[in-house]
Amino acid sequence: VNTHSKLHIATSQLRSAVFLFVSDQDRISAITLAGAADVILSRLLLNEGKENFSDHLMKKDAETTGIVPERGAHGRAVNNMLMINALKHMDPGDDDYVEMDLFVSALATVSKAVANYVGVAGDDADFVEALKLWARIHVPKGLDEHGDPR
Amino acid sequence: MVNNRYKKLDIAARQLETAVSMFFKGQDRFSVITLAGAASGILTQLVINAGKQPFVDYARLYHNELFGSTPSRQKYNRHINDRFGINALKHHAAADTSTVEVAEDDAAESAITRAMVDYIELRGQREPFVVTFLNWMWVSRDGRKMMDQYETLPKKIKRLKK
Repeated sequence: VNTHSKLHIATSQLRSAVFLFVSDQDRISAITLAGAADVILSRLLLNEGKENFSDHLMKKDAETTGIVPERGAHGRAVNNMLMINALKHMDPGDDDYVEMDLFVSALATVSKAVANYVGVAGDDADFVEALKLWARIHVPKGLDEHGDPR
Repeated sequence: MVNNRYKKLDIAARQLETAVSMFFKGQDRFSVITLAGAASGILTQLVINAGKQPFVDYARLYHNELFGSTPSRQKYNRHINDRFGINALKHHAAADTSTVEVAEDDAAESAITRAMVDYIELRGQREPFVVTFLNWMWVSRDGRKMMDQYETLPKKIKRLKK
């Protein structure tokens, strides 16, 4: 049995996720791995007294609606929107199919986790650079409101 | 946005295939465990939906043979996921410690094996990644000796069914 820091575990999974994503090798697995890493990284940021990516989204929600969403419910809603739960879990009565934009879900999940990683550990890692390079080539102006490259 | 429909069984297969590929390439064990665990999270229900017996139910019946009680599926599923390190790699609560203890090589093999058993129930054992993993197990775990040991087990243990 070996002892591993949670940061090391999250980093390892996120590194795999980024390379599976940018190589277009397996974007389903990229979502699952980035999602797992993101849960750990989000908590590590909070433990350091910093805001995580969800906090930024919650603030934006509050600016629009005037209501600050509850953290747990907000996190679950984001995870459901990105289909993170549907790719790792199935309950009795669930549909045999999922409907999703795999590219957009994978890009959003990986980007969210990388943003949180940078908040914890900085942007020196090879996979952070790999995602930045991919973005400069494929989505140099970001995505429009439909999720397509501008 | 371009929404496409994906079959849950194909989603599980993709993740399991990537887990096996990373396992054989000697790549990150934590990723292997998480991917195999995600595949299992889908495959268990699909095996039940197909009217067959998932890995977790066989394990529960085996528990009953050994200890005289059958834990609930949810409870035993959590127990297995804890044993294989699956839960610790995707959760981190406020009060959790900053480190975890896991034998990642063994856990990766176990997590794939568990998912593979359920996958084979649904799609058989002809796909290359399935055949390759089974062959690896046969060679590295001395399959002949293991089957000899299996044959010595009482019949009711070998054929545990609900």
